[in-house]
Amino acid sequence: MKIFKVSFRNFISYSAFILLLSIFTFQPAFAVEKPYQRLISLSPSATENLFAIGAGKQVIAVDDNSNFPINVPRSKLSSFNPSAEAIAKFKPDLVIIQKTATKSAQVSKQLRLLKIRTYIEKTPIDIEDVYSEIRDLGKLTGKISEAEKIVANLKQARSAALKRVKNSSLTFYHELDSSLYSATSNTFIGKVYADFGLRNIADAAAKADDGGYPQLQSEYVISANPDIIFLSDSQYGENAAKVGERTGWSTIKAIKTGKVIELPADIPSRWGPRIADFYRLIADAIS
Amino acid sequence: MRFRNLLFSFICILLVILLAVSFGPIKLSFIEIVKTFFNLPGQLTGPDRTVLLDIRLPRVLLAVVVGSALSASGAVYQTIFRNPLADPYLLGAAAGAGLGATIAITNSAISVALPIFAFAGAVIAVLASFFISGKFFAEPSTLLLSGIAIGSFATAVQTYLQQRHSASLRPVYSWILGELTAADWSTVRWSAIYISISLATLFFIRKKLDALLLSDDEAFSLGLNPNKLRLVALGAATLATATAVSASGLIGFVGIVIPHLVRGVMRKISNENLPIIAIAGAGFLVLADLGARSLLAPSELPIGVLTAFIGAPFFLFILRKKRVSQR
Repeated sequence: MKIFKVSFRNFISYSAFILLLSIFTFQPAFAVEKPYQRLISLSPSATENLFAIGAGKQVIAVDDNSNFPINVPRSKLSSFNPSAEAIAKFKPDLVIIQKTATKSAQVSKQLRLLKIRTYIEKTPIDIEDVYSEIRDLGKLTGKISEAEKIVANLKQARSAALKRVKNSSLTFYHELDSSLYSATSNTFIGKVYADFGLRNIADAAAKADDGGYPQLQSEYVISANPDIIFLSDSQYGENAAKVGERTGWSTIKAIKTGKVIELPADIPSRWGPRIADFYRLIADAIS
Repeated sequence: MRFRNLLFSFICILLVILLAVSFGPIKLSFIEIVKTFFNLPGQLTGPDRTVLLDIRLPRVLLAVVVGSALSASGAVYQTIFRNPLADPYLLGAAAGAGLGATIAITNSAISVALPIFAFAGAVIAVLASFFISGKFFAEPSTLLLSGIAIGSFATAVQTYLQQRHSASLRPVYSWILGELTAADWSTVRWSAIYISISLATLFFIRKKLDALLLSDDEAFSLGLNPNKLRLVALGAATLATATAVSASGLIGFVGIVIPHLVRGVMRKISNENLPIIAIAGAGFLVLADLGARSLLAPSELPIGVLTAFIGAPFFLFILRKKRVSQR
């Protein structure tokens, strides 16, 4: 049985060969993806994340709704109705498309035919999704450590805000628009409030819409008598005075105590580093 | 219908297609586009070739298929109901398809089957209006009224579903306004199959269809069974409409504007011109789509907005003319 008598030299060379072979075979798993240098972001949240992790210089164009930070390379590209050809004209190497955009899968397929990679951004369900998007973007742009830093900052800002408020059990109403659409605790926005232990009056209508955005009746809001009212429609002209003038609303506790918070534009709807501001604002409102 | 006219409209549609594929955000040389189509040396290569053959061409061809289906079935509906204002969506086909699409969009498990659901919705709505109104076309207005009632019912259910599933609002909205965006070859292929079958049927019986414009007694005296003819024509036109709707959403007014325009130009109400009506519809939709992707470029304008913007005033014009002539 000579075959088992393998000399030491042969053993070394065989194992070296097998090692080389396996490295060669599994190379894609080892190789770090080459960072993308010509990005297009068709998502305002992704734009904020990219600039936060220091990949702003790699972004060649952003959609018409991306407005933060102020110096972003805004273009006429649409985030809702992306057109593969219009995108391709910029000669990008990576395009970030929202999953909810019209025919996002088909547009992504067309871009692949043009040898352009896409990152499909899902609507986050909770804060963990925000962290993982920031990390994904870090990997794609070669800013892994910067992305980790942003995530760490965000985590820290969140726990600092939560520490200021010890399990509040106040009730609140978050207004999306003046026809009384609200967000339940199943939504991303709702989960931020739930982190503080706040009780959401929209949860009573959670069964009405599985998307988590039911339309409430005025009478219900009055009877639920929330302690705080958050207006995310203040950027569309709603304010504390107007809300106070609504028929029957003057009896609501939040209005009597002046706890009607006009949220700054875009803060509750951007899933990026500015979520920290949202946490801070809520903590301020409670304490 | 003279062969000369058919040939002329055929050449026109080829030119319109060539025009439509030459415009887009990326500039392609017109000469090279022509060379690519005729397989001559000096063709487009690389990404430019992909832009032409895999992005622009399928979209333009889908517009051709859908446009011809909507205009031809519009003309047929107008004949069957002896009503110049009848359109392919009249018997609840649009609302039924809308409901089917909404059901598919709100249930993520079946959302890939959207075209099938839209198709089934359209067919079920038309069949329902047909059976509720009584077996045969004793009274066309009863059929129209039940179509309207079925349509309102389907729209109500659709709105209810949307309110219950707010995440579906955007996709449903963009589907309703009609979308030829991001059309791919597979969509062109399956829609072309169904639409060719129904158009071939309609073309085959087109001369007999004119008998439906007369009274049923007169049709019988010509040796035709008007009810059987109506059933075949209605079936083929509904198949074409349902396929068009499931491939591209609701694109309104093509079925009204084009048949009347062709009849006006040809000075003939006869359905003999059905092939020309189909070709004209194809050309109209290709040009409307060119407008839809050029006016707000690089963003898209929903094509339904554009066709209705041209179609609605035209519709009112016909209404007015009809009122005047009846006086």
